[in-house]
Amino acid sequence: MGRYVIRRLIQAIPVLLGATLLIYALVHYLPGDPVQALAGEKRVDPLLRELIREKYHLDDPFLVQYWNYISGVFQGDLGESLTGRAVTDMISEAFPYTVNLALVAFIIEAVVGVLAGVMAALRRGKFLDQLVLISTLLVISIPVFVTGFALQLLLGVKLKNDYGIDFFPVSFHEEDGLRAYLLPAFVLASTSLAYVARLTRTSLMETMRADYVRTAVAKGLKRRRVIGRHALRNALIPIVTFLGADLGGLMGGAVITEKIFNMHGIGGLLAQSVYQKQGTVIVGMVTLLVVIYLVTTLLVDLLYAVLDPRIRYE
Amino acid sequence: MSDTTTVGSEALSGDTGKTDPPKKQKTERAASLWSDAVRDLRRNPVFLIGAALVLILLVMAAVPQLFTSGSPFDGDACDLANSLKRPSAEHWFGFDVQGCDVYTRTVWGARNSIIVGVLTTLAVTVVGSLLGLLAGWVGGITDSILSRFTEVFFSIPLLLGGMLIMSMLGKGNAYTVSLVMAVLGWPQIFRIMRASVLSNKYNDYVMAARALGASSMRITFRHILPNAIAPVIVIGAISLGVYIGAEAALSYLGIGVQSPEISWGLMISDASARFLTAPHVLLFPSAALSITVLAFIMLGDAVRDALDPKLR
Amino acid sequence: MRGATQTKWIVAATAIALAATACSASSKSSDSKAGASAGGTIAVELGEPQHGLVPQNTAESEGSEVLNAVFAGLVDYDRKTNAPKLRVAESIESTDSKVWTIKLKDGYTFHNGEKVTAKSFVDAWNYGANQDNAQESLPFFSKIEGSEELAPGKDKKPSAKELKGLKVVDDKTFTVTLSAPFSQFKTMLGYNAFYPLPTAFFNDPKAFGEKPIGNGPFEMDGAWEHNKQIKVKRFENFPSSDTKAKLAGVTFKIYDNLDTAYNDLRADNIQATDKLPISAMSTVKSEFGDRYIYKPESGVGYIGFPIATNPETYGKPEIRKAISMAIDREAITKTIFSGTRVPADDFVNPLVNGYRKGAMGDAAKYDPVKAKELFTQANGVPNNTIELGYNADGGHKEWIEAVGNQLKKNLGVEVTFKPFEKFGKILDALGDKQYSGAFRMAWSMDYPSIENYLRPIFSKVAIENGSNYGGYVNEQFETLLSQADQAKTEEEGLKLYQQADDVLIQDLPYIPVYTYMSSAAYTKKIKNFDTDAQGHMNLAEVELA
Repeated sequence: MGRYVIRRLIQAIPVLLGATLLIYALVHYLPGDPVQALAGEKRVDPLLRELIREKYHLDDPFLVQYWNYISGVFQGDLGESLTGRAVTDMISEAFPYTVNLALVAFIIEAVVGVLAGVMAALRRGKFLDQLVLISTLLVISIPVFVTGFALQLLLGVKLKNDYGIDFFPVSFHEEDGLRAYLLPAFVLASTSLAYVARLTRTSLMETMRADYVRTAVAKGLKRRRVIGRHALRNALIPIVTFLGADLGGLMGGAVITEKIFNMHGIGGLLAQSVYQKQGTVIVGMVTLLVVIYLVTTLLVDLLYAVLDPRIRYE
Repeated sequence: MSDTTTVGSEALSGDTGKTDPPKKQKTERAASLWSDAVRDLRRNPVFLIGAALVLILLVMAAVPQLFTSGSPFDGDACDLANSLKRPSAEHWFGFDVQGCDVYTRTVWGARNSIIVGVLTTLAVTVVGSLLGLLAGWVGGITDSILSRFTEVFFSIPLLLGGMLIMSMLGKGNAYTVSLVMAVLGWPQIFRIMRASVLSNKYNDYVMAARALGASSMRITFRHILPNAIAPVIVIGAISLGVYIGAEAALSYLGIGVQSPEISWGLMISDASARFLTAPHVLLFPSAALSITVLAFIMLGDAVRDALDPKLR
Repeated sequence: MRGATQTKWIVAATAIALAATACSASSKSSDSKAGASAGGTIAVELGEPQHGLVPQNTAESEGSEVLNAVFAGLVDYDRKTNAPKLRVAESIESTDSKVWTIKLKDGYTFHNGEKVTAKSFVDAWNYGANQDNAQESLPFFSKIEGSEELAPGKDKKPSAKELKGLKVVDDKTFTVTLSAPFSQFKTMLGYNAFYPLPTAFFNDPKAFGEKPIGNGPFEMDGAWEHNKQIKVKRFENFPSSDTKAKLAGVTFKIYDNLDTAYNDLRADNIQATDKLPISAMSTVKSEFGDRYIYKPESGVGYIGFPIATNPETYGKPEIRKAISMAIDREAITKTIFSGTRVPADDFVNPLVNGYRKGAMGDAAKYDPVKAKELFTQANGVPNNTIELGYNADGGHKEWIEAVGNQLKKNLGVEVTFKPFEKFGKILDALGDKQYSGAFRMAWSMDYPSIENYLRPIFSKVAIENGSNYGGYVNEQFETLLSQADQAKTEEEGLKLYQQADDVLIQDLPYIPVYTYMSSAAYTKKIKNFDTDAQGHMNLAEVELA
């Protein structure tokens, strides 16, 4: 087990190096001029454009640029954006919000999703099962943009103006603490929630038919105990996999949710940097995401062994 | 884990060396698995309803003229004078902001949306499942390489990947958007399939089959796959809807379906900004998408039940 | 082991972040939200400025909004007529439109106590004009004599540190010599590129950008909190001859989504915004009544044509006129924009002196029959197809599609649409000749002068060095412009500029479709709120209601 973890961590090094090179190259060969992308609708003065390109070494050959970048990284310097801000500053400003939002969303997704899935599986075809199905359809076919704004308008504006209840902030303020995260996290979690609920439902129904569960029931064990101890535990493997893979998505892909609730997190920053072709910012953040994926998949892989003792790592 | 690797790879190399006869036998057995499944499906009302819905959608996608007399591509299809008019007796679904008939557009939008949904789901499922099977079953170095690879893929933002592929392809349509989403979407299925295989490969019947000397190929496709496919089918059915909706986001980058072409994703995204003042423009394409997803979820449930050996 | 340390770091970051929120959860939300009730401070909407708040390096609206509160320029503009009014300047005079003498008023100081002198301006302008500093306002100084010495071009070193054309006469006086006469020079001087800088700036420009020291009615209240807010407070030593701020402080709350800002405005979490989202257009009037400000703004929206690169399709003025006449501007502004845009009828915005109502005549009138006639007579376009490009990030899809539908219906052409992620991408694609269709484009003035609607968009120099993206060239237009620049009086200049405008109306290099209306709204908590033609809020005059 310990050796397995160490092996995985060693593997992370070439993966990270490869990832930075790959992303740096992708951004580099993307057409378009980052200087103009910053300037909006008026054309940048040609001399000014040259000066800025020179200042940020945008005309250097690709490998030279990458070398400068990566040797900076090893000295703890992730470079500077074209607007003159240190990428480390930008990331450390945005990252805490992103982590908190993703964690709250993750908890909602895991707890509510699994519970709903279990209920639906146990009462197949009944009201709760149907409710899970209908919510799934709604979540898929109505854009996050619409649900987000509708909730914001109802709970943020109407509740305050009409009933004097100022509980859900319209836009994010870190001073509001946990409640500032509730609404955005719910909106962010909604699609994944549907996946988790339906995955749990199917997975649990499958394992309930497995021999060992039948045996347990035949032996006269209590239904609840069988489900909790045996069936669910085994059914959790695909769910844990989904959740693990989703955590990174919740961090890097919260663009619309962040926008609706005015949270300046990683998702929005990353999207904006891609639009503006800001190489250093993109590479910095994507590398961080790769790290997150490496760590979560490692944790998930270790969890497999816990959930199913037959799976072993050495 | 290393022991399974050696067993797996040995078996695999042994299998590839084999000649025709055993393969034939295998296809026969596989066929019987499938004919069992088909017999099950024919009797399953969930499957029949789902199949009927999918059939209607496919016909709508292929021959929209059967469902509406108008065409959204006529010069006078849209008139700003009708902008955002509510549903009426002649125009059941009302008009959108451009003054186009929402019903006609919903019918004609089916084609692109179904193409995007089905193609992407198919590509993602096939690629993700096969690689996931491989990683989960063979394990060892193969698993490590494939897994690390997916982690990098996972982290590439859709936007970045999309813009890049777009810059190589030029102009976007339903196929390019499917390509982009498939390229960036398969790691999810990969992870799920790999997990499924891991949790199934130590089951008694797999052990038994191996002890009996069954080839690795045979174990994989005859025993592991049918047992491991369930979560993939669940994810696939939901993803199909998500892809149809997400297509619109990529249209903004010039990757997806472009106006004057129509898709449900585009209609939904265009209607979103005015959902408070003109909800009907959003309602109908969203409903169409819901029905599509429902149909595929029903199909998926039924197929999964039919393939499940434990139900036999 | 790199992975391990990274993990720890993430876990630690998570713990800290959660702890921080847990602590503050109990203490009810503070200043930024409590806003208006606490001692005369309010919160207003702002987008994250692009980079450091240095006047000479700010060419975008968000940074400019803050600078407008923190700095005071030589002139500002009358909110009704848009004529330049003296502010820090006591007088700005010239006999030949070439040599200008600028005298300063007494009493202005920077927020750190330093006096605003002639040198404060001259140093700031020299800094902005020097290419080594790569300031965004660089082109604004190109009219001043000696600018080419400070900005000789790439890979060349500036041969001087100071503009030859700038001379400090005494503490309160300096002269500006232009390389050629320019009758509209005075109107340029309210732009933030021409604001003064204190000596403190030159010690550490980067730190200054985070917490600028200006000479305006508000001073910074702490440094810029990126992606969160910028707080300013009343500057107590602002001269009483100018408008002293009434509010004790203003918080610019940073949003990147107008819909969210609008919902915060509805909930009175912020008190004013001067940008409303499309989704609000049809309901804002009923919700905000008198507190919804609806008045002309300086922007003009066009359909542009790549005349130089695609003459086969868009080269003929008749085709362009036919397209113009096939567009129902009235219907588009009413339905798509809910009346927040107005049909354009001149190349010049109605706000500036020199605009003539209905100048475009029948070219701007919706007449599908005549349009079709003209189009057919001119033999139409190749493949009978018109392509319309737009940037997808700015809410242009709807009106471009509406235009497309009308062209299709009225001219019988096929219309295809091409979205680009950003406007910059359209420019890249036009430049690389990867795109040769028509495109949307808008212009909003840098300074309120008729000249600013002509030269930067349609002159020959603007092909390389401005916004003439279509590559339009007309010698007659060029001659009229230079004659107008050299006019002895403003009136004479105005007439010549209008003649140049007439040339454009004949040629229609772009088709003006609409002009913008400013859409701002404020809550019941404040009064006297207004915006000017440049889209700045009059924060110094705002009071609590």
